[in-house]
Amino acid sequence: MASFNVINYSLRPSKSIQRQLVFDGIRKLQAHLHLEDIVYVGFGSVWFTDFVMVHKLLGVREMISIEGNDVGYRRALFNAPFATVTVKHGFSGQVLPELFVDAALRAKPWLIWLDYDYELNESVRDDLRAVIENAPANSVLLVTFNGIEGKYGQAPERSERLREILGAVVPDDLPKSSCKGDRMQAALADLTLDFLKSSAAEIARPGGFVSAFRIIYQDGAPMVTVGGVLPAKGAARVAADVVGEADWPGRPPAPIKAPHLTMREAAVLQAQLPRDAPLSRPQVQELGFDLEDHELEAFQTYYRQYPAFAQIVA
Amino acid sequence: MATELGKAGANPTKTFFVRMITRDITLEDCILDLIDNSVDGAWRSEGSRPMGLAQDTDLSRYKIEITATPEIFCIEDNCGGMTLDDAMEHAFSFGRKTTDDTDDYSIGVYGIGMKRAVFKLGSDIMVRSTFCEETGSRFAFAVPIVISDWLRDDTPPWDFDIIEDEELPEDGVNITVKALTSGAATSFGSPAFLQNLRRTIGRDYSLHLHRGLNIVLNGTQISGWQIEMLQGADFSPMRVEYEDEVEGDTVTVEVIGGMAAPPPDTGDPDVEDEGEKRFGWYVVCNGRIVLAADKTTISGWGTEDWPQWHRQYSGFIGIMLFTAANAAALPLTTTKRSVDTSSEVYRRARPKMREVTRSWIDYTNSRKQALEEAKRIEAAAAPVAIYAVARRVNVVLPRLVAKPPEPVANVNYAVPLVKLKKLAKALGRSSMPYRDVGLKSFEYTYDDLVGEE
Repeated sequence: MASFNVINYSLRPSKSIQRQLVFDGIRKLQAHLHLEDIVYVGFGSVWFTDFVMVHKLLGVREMISIEGNDVGYRRALFNAPFATVTVKHGFSGQVLPELFVDAALRAKPWLIWLDYDYELNESVRDDLRAVIENAPANSVLLVTFNGIEGKYGQAPERSERLREILGAVVPDDLPKSSCKGDRMQAALADLTLDFLKSSAAEIARPGGFVSAFRIIYQDGAPMVTVGGVLPAKGAARVAADVVGEADWPGRPPAPIKAPHLTMREAAVLQAQLPRDAPLSRPQVQELGFDLEDHELEAFQTYYRQYPAFAQIVA
Repeated sequence: MATELGKAGANPTKTFFVRMITRDITLEDCILDLIDNSVDGAWRSEGSRPMGLAQDTDLSRYKIEITATPEIFCIEDNCGGMTLDDAMEHAFSFGRKTTDDTDDYSIGVYGIGMKRAVFKLGSDIMVRSTFCEETGSRFAFAVPIVISDWLRDDTPPWDFDIIEDEELPEDGVNITVKALTSGAATSFGSPAFLQNLRRTIGRDYSLHLHRGLNIVLNGTQISGWQIEMLQGADFSPMRVEYEDEVEGDTVTVEVIGGMAAPPPDTGDPDVEDEGEKRFGWYVVCNGRIVLAADKTTISGWGTEDWPQWHRQYSGFIGIMLFTAANAAALPLTTTKRSVDTSSEVYRRARPKMREVTRSWIDYTNSRKQALEEAKRIEAAAAPVAIYAVARRVNVVLPRLVAKPPEPVANVNYAVPLVKLKKLAKALGRSSMPYRDVGLKSFEYTYDDLVGEE
């Protein structure tokens, strides 16, 4: 990758687009499932980017951030952006069980986003199963993890590794070729969704699990975000209808690989959009600069979610 | 004599039947019951012969297609269909009549499978059949059942209406169930349930699938388990056959047993071993595997003078095949998911099972004392399909000469799983068993700090 595409890495435009898509989806669900008064549970780190969006965009008041690192915990307390953010000290496997038995929290649906910066493993799986088994009715669960193939062993043993983590849902004849390159992220996304659905069926959750999100995005390593709704018994139909609509944003057909544009490039391109025929590369060159075809296509698909960063140069 | 005051009513209600017969069977077993009916159809079309391990039957023109979704369940086959006579006299009655002809090497025996299965699945049922009459012309009929309507009146006779129907594309049966029970709908929406169903079908019908039968679940063809024995060098599985008799019916019993894979190097139960689930005893009744990889008292482990199953015994597979023209003579339970251990034919077969099991237990014990030699001999044995195993009264296992053991120290410690996985990966294989990671770390450190002396 050329160095001008690395320098902007900390801004992570693809991650930003992914967040926008998720929250666009949540807003649609809010309208149909009466999710006005909900609790947000996430890993806010010291940045709280998702917390700011959840509060400003979705109007969520009560927010809980889980932080396992000692220093990170002190910093999170210092950086909490709103008065209604609670920071819980501990790892998700320890904190989640406390939240599950908190009567006040249980009274409302949760939006819970377990945004790990490492790969899917046994502890992530256990967290997911615990949420499926314990989250209040009409909660929405999302999980993000690293999908790069090398984190799951050598190619011939990846399907076995998936079986170790996800169990029965992994087909006995999952071929090695399904666990290579882009297909690895697709396999992880699909099998994790199968796992969530099966876990809900296993405990006969009254409304089951309605699969809603499947997003693969890449700034550095390819990341996988999947999730869905845990509707109340009567709400399963409504939830399935909302996420089944043609304009549902939670399942982009291709991985999101957003180009790293300067403010000026983004602004000039944006001024050409929306338009009926897609912008071509010669047209970009006429505008005074140049982009690879796939970068141009990605920007046109996601310009509405593309972050408007003010880049601060130290 | 006392004056009779009246009669105590003992007639059953339909609701009783629907509730009772569906209670003690799993959804999975219900689906297998329906597959059994199709398989019996195919077998009848092929002339109903004993179904041992003989390889002379080709079932590849028969197909059983199953669709299971939260909205609808459907099973359709081209296995010859149910005759109108069958439908009027047998298929829909509860239980078989004593006069029913059962001399057909089928697996259906209690006359309950289809009703129980469809009642368990849902409440809006359509059974369709197209068959070839003796005259050679095709005939089609259907039996629609809406349970709520049927339950409304308990007055006998308990008939279902048989109506005319359009012919199916091929002679066969098509059963469609709508308005699924919530249990069925939930399970059919679960990828894990469907994957496990696929696994069970692949295992329990492996003898039929091996003969070419096609079973398709939600569009995907199911392949059968390969059951193989290791043979060669000092290993030969046993294979004996004898005839037994139950109340006038002849039952052919075949016993095969031996090594399917080398036993593990360690008896440590913590070690993960996927292969473990294949080992143990299998019981096959008229071709259908009713007990698979059993390690419980049902196949004798932990009874009489047998020890409990232990991981040390992994690698053993034993198969008992019971074949009878009259399925009632087989040691089957009504759910066909286990063996009726009180059955005489089964009890008489147990000593044969015990002999081969005992030999295997002894071998795995002696093997511990001469592990290197055992591994060398085991590596020379090659897999053969169970169909090709030669007849032999006893299992042959190597006689090992125990070497005086070097004193050893056992090391046992716990480390964080994540770290272990990372180390395994660094050592070359992230799926490396924990034990090997420990050994390799020891060897690595030993080599670095002690070296050759």
